[in-house]
Amino acid sequence: MNTRQVAKGDRAFFAISTAAAIFTMFLVLAVLVYLSIKSWSTFSQQGISFVTGSTWDNTTEGGTFQIWPMLVGTIVVSLLGLIIAVPASIAVAFFIEFVAPPRLARIATSLVDLLAALPSVVVGIWGIFVLSPVAATWSQSLSNTLSFIPIFRNEFSNAEGAPFIAAWTIAVMIIPIITSVSREVMGRVDKDLISAATALGSTSFSTMRRIIVPNAKSGILGGILLGLGRALGETVAIFFVLNLVFEVNLFHILQPKGGNVASLIIAKFGEATPEELNALMAAGVVLFVLTLVVNMIATSIVQRAERRMAS
Amino acid sequence: MSESQLQLLDRPTDATPWNKRSSNFSLIIGLASIFPILLFLVVLNISKLSGAGVLLTVFLPVQLLAAAIAAIVTRGRRGVADSQLSVFVYFAVFFVISMLGSILFSIVKWGLKAVSPHFIYQNNVYITPTTSLDYGGAGHALIGSLLVVGLATLIAVPLGLAVAVYLTETRGRLKGPVRFLAQSMSGLPSIVAGLFVYALFIATGTANLSGWLGSMALALLMLPTVVRMSEEVLKLVPGDLRSAALALGAPQRRTFFQVIMPTAKAGLITAVLLGVARIVGETAPLILTTRLMSETSFNPFSGDLATLPTFIFANLTAGFDTGRSRAWGAAFLLLAVVGLIFGATRALTSKKVK
Repeated sequence: MNTRQVAKGDRAFFAISTAAAIFTMFLVLAVLVYLSIKSWSTFSQQGISFVTGSTWDNTTEGGTFQIWPMLVGTIVVSLLGLIIAVPASIAVAFFIEFVAPPRLARIATSLVDLLAALPSVVVGIWGIFVLSPVAATWSQSLSNTLSFIPIFRNEFSNAEGAPFIAAWTIAVMIIPIITSVSREVMGRVDKDLISAATALGSTSFSTMRRIIVPNAKSGILGGILLGLGRALGETVAIFFVLNLVFEVNLFHILQPKGGNVASLIIAKFGEATPEELNALMAAGVVLFVLTLVVNMIATSIVQRAERRMAS
Repeated sequence: MSESQLQLLDRPTDATPWNKRSSNFSLIIGLASIFPILLFLVVLNISKLSGAGVLLTVFLPVQLLAAAIAAIVTRGRRGVADSQLSVFVYFAVFFVISMLGSILFSIVKWGLKAVSPHFIYQNNVYITPTTSLDYGGAGHALIGSLLVVGLATLIAVPLGLAVAVYLTETRGRLKGPVRFLAQSMSGLPSIVAGLFVYALFIATGTANLSGWLGSMALALLMLPTVVRMSEEVLKLVPGDLRSAALALGAPQRRTFFQVIMPTAKAGLITAVLLGVARIVGETAPLILTTRLMSETSFNPFSGDLATLPTFIFANLTAGFDTGRSRAWGAAFLLLAVVGLIFGATRALTSKKVK
């Protein structure tokens, strides 16, 4: 093999990998641009009220398609899920990295990874038949005892299908994501710093507060945002456990009416009129932009944290 | 200063902070751990509240209080925050493990009611949601899932590996943006991937609902996982190996295929398996791009195709008890597939560590 052949073969090798890289780079852009073009008729017809209005009607000429209640519902359920998932995830990450003996830590890591590997449809079927009835009793005792706080008021006889229950389902799905990112960053905190703090008489709580959390802060934040991105885009599990109602429900988390953009798409897709189909694609674009922004922020935070801790 | 003036200090009593400071140490810790559990069991039996409710309203506050008291007695006030932290940490670990346990237990419990040999190899022809569980199965959906996921793997793995090569083996100037966008893509909602493929092929009339469209959507979701994992694995291959191969006169492509890839084999297989685990249960894109049927089909390129996730979805939304049992059975099969993949990745990574 002479040098010219070598150079030729290597050039082809590099050309293929570069082409693949550029193709992947444009894939995200292609999804965004193509879906926007396909759903442009909806955006131009409904204008800004596509996002801010609250009517979904396919019976009239042209139809009225607005997704505000669904958008609000998506955000409410995701944030509630974060409220449950974040403390639990950070605690589990702390347990794995600093409390558990190595063997137990390995087992716990495996279990968290297993939880991450569970398909959302499996979590969904567990969510309706096992979690919902149990969480409904929690919800009822909350509304019975704390109904003087507007958030916990529920005048419906039914407690299932509420954002509260969807939030528990979502929490189960995002706990492994936040845990594994936090664990990774906590593990990279300089061990000498921790030893020094312990030698100076620091208790495990003050080590956590003064050393681990400040050093791993940005990485944990990135993990939380990654979890948020996943929660915003979750479809099937939420479709099963949430009762979709076209009505803005911002505060009444125990009442069986909620909204979710992704579930709306699944619910309406089957018998959608052509205009409605475009509107659903437009809803997909809004959802994608929302998750893309959250994920891009998360990715840049995590990458920067990893780079800083590696150096 | 003469030597006689130096005095030996008394050894301070707390010079050994690692020793137990109170003779009653074990007793107090024991009491603080057992009392809340006993109280929890008593209240659970007397009141009609749910287990989780009592756990949160009785056990947790009492346990926090008991731990705080034990900490004050044994270690002084400095120990209080520590004790609260450890109670909270153990509680959180217990919570997460019980959630996981509950999911696994219920899938096995309800799933085994429906799973029998014929459930695995028969298809669903002539079966309605109300037909008894003695007939029919999810075999056609299992085959369909394997076809769709296999095809998605064939698309995503070469592409993802090539991107990983670009990120690790070349001096390309676009590494940063490529890595960033590939990472951001991992947050692509599965339903949007489905909508994209639908808009690209079906809405334009280029193709009808069929298995390979589902594979396209799944490949989009699998790609970021494969890129990230294989990049990490390739980075671990020592640079000396690369230099040695190049110094022996090997072209870069042969260095990659004959030196780097074999070295990173276990890790690369793990990357592929993790990608497969990511997509095998994806439901939303398959609902948009394939149509469920009850016959067995081996052709993912045209016509209807059943897959496990869509089979579960259809049986659940039909709303009959036997349909639900079938959904649990299929969820059990899906979980078994995920479990196999998971076990394989564990075996591969543990070998690598040794």
